Formats: sequence, structure tokens, C-alpha cells
Amino acid sequence: MTVPTADPYRGYRGPTRAVMERFGITVWCEVRAETTRGTFEGLLLPRSETSDELHLVLKLGVGYNVGIRHDTVRSLEKIGYREAHYQIPEKAFPRNASLPAVKLLGTGGTIASRLDYRTGAVIPAFSPGELYGSVPELADICNLETEKLFGVFSENMGPEQYLILAEKCGEAIREGYDGIVIGHGTDTMHHTAAVLSYMVQRPPVPIIMVGSQRSSDRPSSDAAQNLINATWAAAHGPIAEVLVCMFGPTSDRYNLLHRGTRVRKMHSSYRSTFRTLGDIPVAMVELGKVTPLKEDVEPRRTDRDVLVQAAFDDRVSIVYYYPGMKADVVDALVERGYRGLVIAGTGLGHVNRVIYPALERARDAGVQVYMTLQTLWGFVQMHVYETGREILELGVVPLANMLPEAAYVKLGWALGLHPADADTVRRLMTTPLAGDMTEREPHDGYLVFQGGVPEIQEFLREVWR
Amino acid sequence: MSEAITGQNHSVRPPGDVNPRTEAALDFPDRPYGTLSAEDYAILGFMAGLEVHQQLHTRSKLFCRCPAGRYVDGCDAEVLRHMRPTLSELGEYDGTALMEFKTKKEIVYLLERGSVCTYEIDDTPPFHMDHEAVSIALEIAMLLDLNLVSELHVMRKQYLDGSIPTGFQRTAMVGLTGEIPFLVPELGIDRSLRIRQLSLEEDSCREVRDVGHRITFRTDRLGMPLTETVTEPDLLNPLELQAGARLVARIAQATGKVRRGPGAARQDVNVSVAGGRRVEIKGVPYHRGLPRLVHIEAFRQLNLLRVKAELENRAIGADVVALPDGGIPWEVSALVADVTGELSGSGHRPLREAIERGETAVAVRLGGFAGLLSHRTQPGRTFAGELAERVRVIACPEHRPFLAHSDQDPSPLTDREWRDVRRSVAASASDSVVVAWMPRDDAATAAREILLRAGEALVGIPAETRQALPDGTTGFERILPGPDRMYPDTDTPPLPVSDRAVAAVRTTLPDPPWTREQRYRELGLEPGAARRLASAPWAGVFDAVAPTVPEVAQRVASALEMRVPFLGRRGHATMTAERIAPLVRTLEAGTIRPEATERALDDLLRHPDREPDALLERYRVREDAAERCERRVAEVVAQTSALNGTDSEGVLRWAMGRVMPAFLGQLDPRYVRERLTTALSASSQRGFA
Repeated sequence: MTVPTADPYRGYRGPTRAVMERFGITVWCEVRAETTRGTFEGLLLPRSETSDELHLVLKLGVGYNVGIRHDTVRSLEKIGYREAHYQIPEKAFPRNASLPAVKLLGTGGTIASRLDYRTGAVIPAFSPGELYGSVPELADICNLETEKLFGVFSENMGPEQYLILAEKCGEAIREGYDGIVIGHGTDTMHHTAAVLSYMVQRPPVPIIMVGSQRSSDRPSSDAAQNLINATWAAAHGPIAEVLVCMFGPTSDRYNLLHRGTRVRKMHSSYRSTFRTLGDIPVAMVELGKVTPLKEDVEPRRTDRDVLVQAAFDDRVSIVYYYPGMKADVVDALVERGYRGLVIAGTGLGHVNRVIYPALERARDAGVQVYMTLQTLWGFVQMHVYETGREILELGVVPLANMLPEAAYVKLGWALGLHPADADTVRRLMTTPLAGDMTEREPHDGYLVFQGGVPEIQEFLREVWR
Repeated sequence: MSEAITGQNHSVRPPGDVNPRTEAALDFPDRPYGTLSAEDYAILGFMAGLEVHQQLHTRSKLFCRCPAGRYVDGCDAEVLRHMRPTLSELGEYDGTALMEFKTKKEIVYLLERGSVCTYEIDDTPPFHMDHEAVSIALEIAMLLDLNLVSELHVMRKQYLDGSIPTGFQRTAMVGLTGEIPFLVPELGIDRSLRIRQLSLEEDSCREVRDVGHRITFRTDRLGMPLTETVTEPDLLNPLELQAGARLVARIAQATGKVRRGPGAARQDVNVSVAGGRRVEIKGVPYHRGLPRLVHIEAFRQLNLLRVKAELENRAIGADVVALPDGGIPWEVSALVADVTGELSGSGHRPLREAIERGETAVAVRLGGFAGLLSHRTQPGRTFAGELAERVRVIACPEHRPFLAHSDQDPSPLTDREWRDVRRSVAASASDSVVVAWMPRDDAATAAREILLRAGEALVGIPAETRQALPDGTTGFERILPGPDRMYPDTDTPPLPVSDRAVAAVRTTLPDPPWTREQRYRELGLEPGAARRLASAPWAGVFDAVAPTVPEVAQRVASALEMRVPFLGRRGHATMTAERIAPLVRTLEAGTIRPEATERALDDLLRHPDREPDALLERYRVREDAAERCERRVAEVVAQTSALNGTDSEGVLRWAMGRVMPAFLGQLDPRYVRERLTTALSASSQRGFA
């Protein structure tokens, strides 16, 4: 992170800036402030742009930051100046010829960070040397190279980034890396994992997505364990697929490897938020050991063949059905030129009668419409009820147990790949790829237990959560 | 990291850690607590400051809506976590810089669903700060005469001991730099006490168990709002320190909005002596033990300075205890040897059993230290204890004892064993040798820590946080962190504290204790009673009933003190000004005599369903009191024949016990006693009937 020191009033505007100008004070001045509430001494820090324009921020000698309201200030006296220098001394990542080579691609989010205690800034650590400083265990696992592709919060990831990421994966495979790790924000990690599963098919080496639920600057963060396990799985793991590697339970125990098309973020903040839906995870990773949980996994190969098909048509939408939904919602999408709709329907894949005409109009306009499930678990089964049968007749195509988000990215990808070939798109959509639809749901594919029930309470007392 | 306190101590830089006087009083003899005068402590250069942690009485916790004050023994679930240090821009890159990591603790948190939510286990970001807690903190800050900030910024203060699941404590500065009157006539103190700061922060977990590499915490207390009040190191002897702690406590209590009872307030004490630096003693729960504790610590520091001086005399340099970074100590240095083989048949059972368990015995040479390991540091403890403490905390051996040294007399090892051990590390007669036994990795850590601590002896007093032990000594807890490891908490927005909010709190501000105390003294209470009333929860009620007659004021204050805590929750519930006012009025009017105050108050509080007038009736002065008294006296005196053989004082006491209750409040006890004495002597003159 570099700080442009050009602006001496960083973040201060309106009344606070006026006060600073009046007394000839800039950011990084050490000041003595005489105010209506007494005297305060400290280092004037930059102001966050999302904070108001009414308060000055001082860092006190004891380490605390405090805010001083502009209209309490009687005088500001400069007693020193300490410019910030965000310089991270670098040491080289130790190389070990006997270890595999791993490429870490960065998209944003902070998998590791360092702290500048003088100013309180959290600085991402990303280069191999910086990562080595934060997580030295990596040097015992592999030889690491890093490349920062973009620096976006994952909710801002989109088709543009997917294409670049897919090409970069292909490049890393051709260059001979033994595994790829992708640092990614957790909000849309499952979207990216799914789309990469389509854009980068049959990789010979593991492609492991990793992030952290709790910011990596804190001692309790899941970042280091995630990164260590992800890197291990990429460097030494036997499974060559696009996988998400995040905590199993919320305790610091093991990580899970989830297939990219079946994984989803299921809680806004829990470390254990990522879960495989409709099946069990592919493997456990813990302390230098990958333990496959499934038998049907793609093994690591020595060749360098991979099918990279980076394409995406973003005129696709997910429509989350709700009772009382009106036809005009679907009509509006069609009128605006959307080429594909993924419906997250209720129950076995249902919507109300009211929107049937809109579905018809969509079909007539050549818009492809697919059905997935709001319930997330279970199979679309549109033959069971009349509603389902009616919807089928309108040309809506069921997608078995494909997750809505996976269906959305798959449709965007398929349409991008075959813009003028509706039949091929339909064939791609209805053919299982990278496990996005399964033939069977085992009994333990859906395990959502309720708290409070005695047997569950007993179980919780026996294991570390 | 340490800066000398210069004349101009800008608060833009961290406050100094070093005692301003650099010459240690090495010749001052060790003396037990209670035998030193204030002048003696001045010679020692004794200096102390306080950090008082006070729980606030709020409904919820500070950053979530869980109930505050819910303490539980049960547990529904457990979570396991580890802590990793976050490196600063000054941090080391060396993989082995995380050496502490290899002996990292497994930290287990016990959860009970009524007292914690997902915030406490660090699986949910914080909710907005509890406004009740902010108000109370502002109130205490105002009483302490502090400059209030305009905006509260929540900071993260890192702790890696596991006591907080996130690995940091959320804390916000509320007010800075104030001065309060510090008046303790019995100690000759009449000056002011400077307060450095008050911050609002969340409380930590309670430790349940700490064995080997696993530490277990209970999470019920976690997240409760605390104020931390830090004084300047203006306290110059142990009794002053205690008085200062009591003063700070009373100020918080004056608001009536802080928790009381065991664990509701804890203090950390910073102590230094001339030639040394401050050491922090953490988590002292009671004021009672403070003076002895800091006295012992002052002498521990002085003794460490003596060890340092002796090492200087012997020209021992740091190279003597230096170990290369990285590698197994006994493989990379001649100072350390694996002596498992030499000691495998040892007669010392803990050692033999450790080796039988497959553990390693390691020997460490401390060159030139001969005799210093048995140098006294605290009552019953020696310098070797300083080494053992480090090993205990950092290497985490599960079994004890785990260490022996060559200065021990009598020694657990035989002469021959010592000869073999000394040979293994090429120790000469001027060297000390330490032997430790535990699992191999831990033994490697132990060897490093022993040499590190020996190296620190050359500097004098290491920067430590220590824990207070029941016998008044202290034990090592952790290395004192350098500059505060603090940085902004980006999960919470800054909270403005407007002039209007401050004014609103100001209207609820109670009188500060010293003002109150003075008022009570002027009312006629003696100083001790005045001070106790000023910090009592019922002070507000006392003020509301506003007794004006000195004797009544004294009696009411005393009665409240006697009865309210005794009646507990029940007493507090009924104790309103309304309930008590009738009693006070009648006492002042003279219609009930003052001696009845305590009993009458008790009746009022015990029977909230009954009308005060009805309850007070039996104590009211009545015209026929004297007459009835005569009759009663006669009755009782007639019964004294049964007390044949009891001495006259005993008989009188018994008789008073039979007569007075009926006349409590109505007649002066001295009058009754006088009537009885007369009647009894008349009766005995007559002889028993």
C-alpha cells in the first residue's frame, strides 16, 4: 500500500480543513490542541473519507486515537512533524529445490497483513517476501510466486475479472506450476469458484481458492490456517480440481476442500461459513495432510493439458421468485435484452401462474430460462406437481440440483461461448460439468441440525465447534 | 522502547517506563512489610501508579446485546482457537521468529448460550457500542476532572494470551489528564492525584485451567463494559498506593452505576524503584493485599539490581549467555547439553519419571553465575525462581518440578550427577548449571528461555507483566509489550460525543466523594463514617432524607451501614427515601429516641407491606413511659431471684435485656439502667424474697 503524501489534508474537508488551514497544520503534524474541553496532544492522522467532516483525529502517545470536534478548537500548535513511511523491509522467500512451485494469484481481500503501529494502518502483505514474513510456514510447503491481478472486494468481482483469472490460470499451468492458489474475498468466492470450474476444465494441477472470514491483522484470524492448508493442497494435494479451501468447524481444527460448483457461503460471518450442498466435501486438509472424503475426484496429472474457455455474456440474471411476483419483472428483463434467466423457484421448482405469460414471451423472444431451487438443497422435480409440468411446457428447463449461483455463471459462460447457438448452450447447461449436478444425493448431503434439541446439545458438548 | 522521563514529557510520545532516579539503593537491607517509613520508600525511589478496571452496571455487554453480569458454571459447547502474532513493520521475517508459536497454546473457550453470542467467539462483527456504558464512562470521567474527547475511536489492543477470542481487546479513550483531591489525614496526605486517562473497554474471559499446552477460559464475563482509569505514578509508598486505589474506587462508586462485589473491580499496579524500570502486576482484586504486594515487588526489583551489580563486578558480558538463532540448542551451542543419558537412573523421582516417559533432560551453563541462582528475590524465593517461571510460562511443562540448579542446597541430584552434568557443558567452578526435564521440544524452548532470562539479569529488571499470588509475592506472567500494540478497529465507526450529550450527563453527576465527605463531616459524622457513607450505594437515600440534627445523622448513617447490606437484595429493594423519611422526621422531632434508630430501620425494611407509622408506633415516646417502666422494673427484679450466684453486673445486663426492648425509643437507656440499678440494690438489701 502506498500513501500519496501529496495531499496534506488527506480526508479532511469542510470545517475541519478550515481549522487546519487557519492554524497552518497538516496531516502528520504533532500538535498541541487547546480546546473547550481541555488540552490534547497527538499526531494528526488522515481522516477516513467515510467519516464525517467535523472531527480531527489525533493519535496520542499512549497509542489511542481520539476525535476532536472542529468547533471546540481554540488553537492548534505545531510541536513536531512525523511523516508516514509505509516501507516494509523485504526478505526473500527462501527457495528449496525439492519443494513444488505454487503460483498465488491475488484478486483482492487480505490474506495476510502487517501493521504500522505508528499510524494504525493495516498494510496488505502480498509479495512472497511479505507473505513469508506473515506466514513463514509457507516456506516449508512450496516455492511461492505471487501475482496481483486486481484489488477488489469480492462483491465487485465480475465477468471482466473472471476472464482474466481464467487466462492466468491457464498461463500458470502452461508455465509448469505444481498448483495454483487464488486469494479472493469470501462474499462471492463461490461464484468465482463455479465459473472457474467451467472456464478452466480438467486442470492437471489443483486450483485452490482461499480467503479469510476474519481480517488477517487479528491474532485470531482464520487467514493463516486457510493459507497454509490451501497452499499445501495446491502444492502436494492429490486432487486436481477447482476447490474452495476454508475452515471446517469454527474452531482451529481442519480445513475442507469443496468442489467449486457445489460450494456456497452460508453465513455472513462465521469462519465455518463455506459448505458443500447436496453432497459431502471433497477432502479434509489438516497439518500437511489431504484426506479425500470422496472417491470420485480428479487426480493430479503430469501433463499440461487444460481446456481454457474464457467467455461470458453478462446479459443473464437470477430471478428470485416470491409469492405475488408479477409478470412485469420477467418482461422487463426480456425487454432490456437479457438472453438468459435462472429462476430460483420455490419447493421443487415452482413459480406462480401469474408469470406464465411472461415466461412464454421470454421463450418466444429466444431467452433461455432455467429452473433452480431457493431451498438450495434437493432436486428440481417438475413432474410431480401440475405447476411444475405447466412450467416445463413453457420451455423452462430444470437443472436438477445445480445451485442458483452456479447456474447463473454457467449460463453466462455458455452464452458467451456460443452466442448464436442456443441448442449447444442448452446442451452445455443440462450436461453435468465439474460436478455441478449430481446423479444422487447421499443421505448426508443435507445436514442442518437445530440447536436446542437435546441430542444436538449433547453432541455439541462432545466436540469442539 | 523505554524513554527516560524528561522534563518536557510530550504526550505525543509514549510515556516513560524508567524510574527517574538512576542510582539503585543497593545497600538498603531487605526488610519485611510494615517496618518501613515513608522516608525509607523515598530512599528506595519507590514509585507506583494504578490502572483500575471497573465493571459498569449495565443491562448489556459493550459490543453486543448479551446480558451483562450473567456468571455461569455450565457449558453448552466448546471452541478451540490459536493465536498468531501479527508482525509490525519492524517485525522479524525469520521463520523461527515465531518460535513461541511452536509451543503455542491450544485455547479452549467454554460457551453458555445465555451469556454469549456469536460476537464473543469472534464469528460476528461488533454491534454498536452500548450507550448506557458510554454515559456511565462519561460520568466517571467528569468526576475525575478529565478532558473529554469529541469522538470516541475504538481501538484494538492486541493480547495473545487467549483471554479474548479475537486476539485483541476493543477499547476507546474517553478522557485525559485530570487531577483530583487526594486527602488522607491519617497518612498525612494532602495533595492531588493526577489521572492520566480513562478508557471504555470490554472485559476478558475468566481463566478456568492452564495445564501444559492447553488453556481453558470461561466466556461469561467476556464483553462486559469496563472503565480503565490510569493514574500517573504519583504514589510514593505502599499505603499511598492503597489509599489511591480506594479513592479511585470510591469515585466510580459515587455514580451508583458500577458493579460491586468480588471481581467487579481489579487493579493493575505499576511499580519501580531507583535504578529500575516499571513492572506491571496484573489483576489484583482486593485493596487489602496491595501494600504488602508492592513492598515485596520493590525489594524483588532491588535484589535483581543487586544481581546485576554483582554480575558487573564479575565482568560477565552478554556473550556468555548468547545462543545462535535457530536450531536445537544442544546441537548448536556448547552452553547446552542433552543429559538424558547421564541422568536416566536418577534417584530424584520427578526427573527419573520424566525420562521414563521419553522426555529430555537438558543442562544449561550460566557462565560466571556461581552462587547467584540462590540470591534471594522475594520471601521464600530465589533468582532461580525467575528462570523457572519463564520456563513454566513459555515452555509449558505439564509436570512439576521440572528444574534443578547447582546452587540448590540440599540438592535433588547427587554430587556425581552434578559432576557428569557439569562436564557435559564444560562448566567451571565459577559457573552455575541448570537442569530441566520435559518433552524434547519444550526442553529446547526451556534452554533458550533460561539463557534469555540470564541475559536479562545483566540489564537488571526485565520488562514484565507479573501476576499477584496469594502470599503477596508475584510470578511471571508475560513479557511486557513494548509500545502499545494498538491500531484502529475498522469494524466500528467513531462515536461523536456532543456538547449536548455531555451536558445531559452532567445533570446526573453526583457530588464527588470528597465534597460529599466534607458535607457529612460538617453534618457531624466522624471521618471514617463520612468516608464510608460517601461511597455507599445508599448515600443518595441518605441525602434525600436529609437529616439535620447531628446525632440523628450519625445514627441514621450507622443504621444504614449495619442493616442494608445485611438485608441484602431485600434491604435494597425497600430502602427508598420515602420509606425512611418518617423515621428520620420523628427522630428529629424527638418523638422517638435515637437509640431506636437501628431497630426501627430494620423493621421498616423487613416489612415493606406494613405502614411506617404502624411500625414506628412501638418506639414512640409516651407519657406513661416512666410509670410503665417502674412496673416492669419491679416485675423483672422480682425474677432475679432465679439468678442466684450470678455477679451483679451479669444480673444487671440480664435485667436490661428484659426491660429495655419495650422502651427502646421511648426512654433513655441510661435512665432505665439507673432505675434498674436502684431497684436491684434495694432488692438485694432486702434480701431475696
